[in-house]
Amino acid sequence: MCGADATRDHYDKVIHTLRQLDVGALIQKDRLAAELFMNQGITFTVYSDNRGIERIFPFDIIPRVIPGHEWDHIERGIQQRLKALNLFLKDIYGPQDILKARVIPASLVASCPHYTREAYGIRVPHDIYVHISGIDLIRGNDGRFYVLEDNLRTPSGVSYMLENREVTKRLFPNLLTDSQVRRISDYPLVLHEILSQLAPTQLAHPTVVILTPGVFNSAYYEHTFLARQMGISLVEGRDLTVDNHKVYMKTTNGLEQVHVIYRRIDDEYLDPLVFRPDSALGVPGLMGAYRKGNVAIVNAVGNGVADDKAVYAYVPGMIRFYLNEEPILPNVPTYQLSDPDTRAYVFEHIGNMVIKRTNQSGGYGMIMGNRVGEEEWKHARAQIEKESRNFIAQPIIPLSTVPCFIDGGFRPRHVDLRPYALYGPQGIRIVPGGLTRVALKEGSLVVNSSQGGGSKDTWVID
Amino acid sequence: MERADGLLRVAAVRYTLSLDKLFTLPTDEVGEGLFDQDNPNSLRVILTRARENARGVQDHITKEVWEAVNAIYHLVEGHSLEDQFSSFGALHVMEQFTRHCVLYAGITDITMPRGVGWNFMNLGKYMERSLQTLALSDKEFQVIDYNMEETRDIMQWRYLLLCLSGYELHLKTYRSSSYNFNALHQVLFNEDFPHSLIYSLTRLQRHLNAIVKENRSPESEALLRHFGRIYSKAKYMDPESINGRTLQQLFGETRTELLLFGRRLGQHFFSYS
Repeated sequence: MCGADATRDHYDKVIHTLRQLDVGALIQKDRLAAELFMNQGITFTVYSDNRGIERIFPFDIIPRVIPGHEWDHIERGIQQRLKALNLFLKDIYGPQDILKARVIPASLVASCPHYTREAYGIRVPHDIYVHISGIDLIRGNDGRFYVLEDNLRTPSGVSYMLENREVTKRLFPNLLTDSQVRRISDYPLVLHEILSQLAPTQLAHPTVVILTPGVFNSAYYEHTFLARQMGISLVEGRDLTVDNHKVYMKTTNGLEQVHVIYRRIDDEYLDPLVFRPDSALGVPGLMGAYRKGNVAIVNAVGNGVADDKAVYAYVPGMIRFYLNEEPILPNVPTYQLSDPDTRAYVFEHIGNMVIKRTNQSGGYGMIMGNRVGEEEWKHARAQIEKESRNFIAQPIIPLSTVPCFIDGGFRPRHVDLRPYALYGPQGIRIVPGGLTRVALKEGSLVVNSSQGGGSKDTWVID
Repeated sequence: MERADGLLRVAAVRYTLSLDKLFTLPTDEVGEGLFDQDNPNSLRVILTRARENARGVQDHITKEVWEAVNAIYHLVEGHSLEDQFSSFGALHVMEQFTRHCVLYAGITDITMPRGVGWNFMNLGKYMERSLQTLALSDKEFQVIDYNMEETRDIMQWRYLLLCLSGYELHLKTYRSSSYNFNALHQVLFNEDFPHSLIYSLTRLQRHLNAIVKENRSPESEALLRHFGRIYSKAKYMDPESINGRTLQQLFGETRTELLLFGRRLGQHFFSYS
């Protein structure tokens, strides 16, 4: 949007259509959307919510519109960024040229909790580490898109992106077809094609599975959704076994060798023989099979080092180092709190800063400087002083707003955008649209679903 | 009722895919296909006839089945849904009808005694399903001129598979990139797919055998032989050998033979002359 009550030009058609509807019709559409999500079981789980495990992900019926030329810019920027991040991972678990060239401090990488020494020297199929990623973008006051963070481990939300579109088809069928919206529905098929191509040996029909932590995971709906859409098995760690460095799935017809695992569990739970010994979610011996090249793990093990929030600040440097190009999408300015002078500066200007834990996502561990209470800040400050490597600060950027239908009227709300990228042997493909997350509370900048955020369908129009 | 179910499935899939610009399909056209009183293949006419048939055989069907047919008839005759069939409500209306069709199938399955009535019902059901599968598949393979080597990817077969409720099974079962062959195999020869030709023919054979067992006569024996020829052709055909003209012939001849068989069946069991 362009202000409190004005919208950008590319919203004209949407706004014109909406104005022809009365509030009652929009409320009816809003109810229908909620009913559809509920009936289809499109829910997510909130930890420590006493009311129950599953909740509907709040959905705003008004689509977010992005013009094609802007999207093309975003697409080029993400492709560039992912190429650099992928080269960084190949380098950091190999020759470490970037450290030798002092583009990134070695101490920063060495102190990163997600730098996985066990992944050092492992060759991955086609040298691709970041097969599936979600890059969080925000639009600043200047109208430019900035990268807020990279999600290179197990980014979630793609099922909501796809289901949002299905629901919008029900709500605004004519508007959708008239608006020349780019299609997103082939995402699961493209994903399956990429996963199949990663099989360690040239097999006509490799066995691909999704490894889920189980029914209590907050993204369990998404795991089942993707398994169904790709026609592959959804397994838990206990459904798999390793024998002679090969991974097998236990089926009613006996053991079946697994060639590709799209895992939706974190590195530290993957293999109790290598990582956390108390992990009941993983598969003992999996890392051995991975190292031998008998199974492909997607995304690669150890990717967390590249989406660490402290390493994030060096991504523009990576782009220059590996690609010899200037970044197309800029970063949000980031302050490393391990540096005492920087820390002092941030503390002095805390009212304009947001402090984030480098190894957390989902809006957890985030301190909004303009809203933090005195007591909370005192406690947080002590924490930061103690483990300064684990925190970064960024200036609070007033996220752009888009029109939302809330309480029977149109209200501006802050949004971000998470486009999803698939990196396969044929290159990087980005789904046109992505997931727009909305901070539904008035004035809030926190868009995470676990913190009261919702989502919208995102239309890229030509 | 099987035809109504198939029609609704096709209409809903076409409509949904048209929103992804895979088809051009004005809402009015869908509405006409469902509610037009003058179109003998519209949902309204099909359901009216189904109800007339059900009224005529009330002593052979259960009260629950009759009520299920009657309920869906009143749904199509009531104008409230037709009025709702604006662009916004189109899918909602189709879903309501589909739910009734599914309810009818379930009620029939759990209340009908497995006697003659049940067998005849199923003869009609699977005959209709075979013809639908053949017609829809024929139309889609016509697009590639029945050439199995023609390049076509899974997204292009999605329409046919969704119309026959077979998309999920396809993803789980077929993994090679021979998309044309995979789609053909599923719709004609996959014995686990409830909308495949072979599945329907196998069921037809079972119910026909049960009927003929009770009515041994030279005519019914001839019917069995007639059906046996249709069944054997599909059952023992080598899928690899089908291409071009042989595929076109397979669709055309099987459909013609099934229609002929249906006519003979009607003459033998239901003709008053």
